[in-house]
Amino acid sequence: MTEEATPSWEDVARIYGRKIYNFAYRLTGNPDDAADLVQEVLLRVRKGLASYVPGSFDGWLWRITRNAFLDDVRKRNRRPTSPLPEDERNLAIASPSPDEVLASVRLSEDIQSALLKVPLDFRECVVLCDVVGLTYEEIAEAVEAPVGTVRSRIHRGRKMLREMLTWPV
Amino acid sequence: MARVKSSSGCATAELVSAYLDGELRSGELDIVVEHLSRCGDCIAEFHQLREIRAGLRTLPFLEIPERLLPDSHPGEQLSAYLDGQLSTAEHDFVISHLDFCTDCRLELHELDAARTAVRSLPGLEPPEFLSVQRERIERERWTRRRVVAAGLGVAAAATLVFVTLGPSSDPAGDIDINPFFDQHQARMSVESGINMLPAFAPGPTP
Repeated sequence: MTEEATPSWEDVARIYGRKIYNFAYRLTGNPDDAADLVQEVLLRVRKGLASYVPGSFDGWLWRITRNAFLDDVRKRNRRPTSPLPEDERNLAIASPSPDEVLASVRLSEDIQSALLKVPLDFRECVVLCDVVGLTYEEIAEAVEAPVGTVRSRIHRGRKMLREMLTWPV
Repeated sequence: MARVKSSSGCATAELVSAYLDGELRSGELDIVVEHLSRCGDCIAEFHQLREIRAGLRTLPFLEIPERLLPDSHPGEQLSAYLDGQLSTAEHDFVISHLDFCTDCRLELHELDAARTAVRSLPGLEPPEFLSVQRERIERERWTRRRVVAAGLGVAAAATLVFVTLGPSSDPAGDIDINPFFDQHQARMSVESGINMLPAFAPGPTP
């Protein structure tokens, strides 16, 4: 939705609400915190739409989302958002299980736990890229950093994840 | 070109992820492809990053809670809103919703009216039969206290008489206090305003 007419608040909630929720959940690891963040973002969007100048809507929206998240983090004084696994060794991916569903759930939990250990600057870029599906340019606009910085953060974030997860190659 | 070396020592660190994401700049693609064709370490890193990337991209995409969508209404949050019992985020969300939802504004108005009506109900006096019952209980309690006090007074007086006069063999000297006690008890049951029995005891008949 770039360079288009300004959407209504309801449209933003319907079209982007789920993405914002997933972004928030992957960053916080907590459904309640994620829901609160979505509410806060939609509120800011609603207030901000009045003064929104048509341009890159995605960049504008994700900048709001990211700032709302950072404000929340500051407000909570960077308290842990989710219990982490008891031991990093438990992050190791289990051997392929006959039950693929269970294995998939385990994989998701392991990745989520590892994500929460990645420093925020890197985590948000990885999540915006791999969960939300933004391009590097859109991420750069959202996090207000050069594209080169975004590229570096995504790469380093993934490498941190790789080091935390015992990954079968 | 990449400026950060990878764990393999090659100057392709950031290019591997960007290659996976299709985000290489002009001229970088050939460099990466050429490098990957001859560097085993970077190929291994490429495979690992590809797995990580795939794992991230297959994380389940969660459904957003319905209550967060504009089509859903605050519902029971409205009462909590009236009572000031919402979190800040919930409060702001309800305010925001009320801004455009006529139905919820109307519902809020009705809830507020009901709440006000309940809160303005007068405090009632207890029914008459409860008052009578309470007075009777109160009276019986006082009576019991007076009987005990009378008993103690009579006993004290009898002791005093016995000690003063000593045992007598004269039957006329015996004092039967029971009639006094009964008389006094009967009086106390009909008279009000007497809180303490006088230390009353008849002395010996002159």
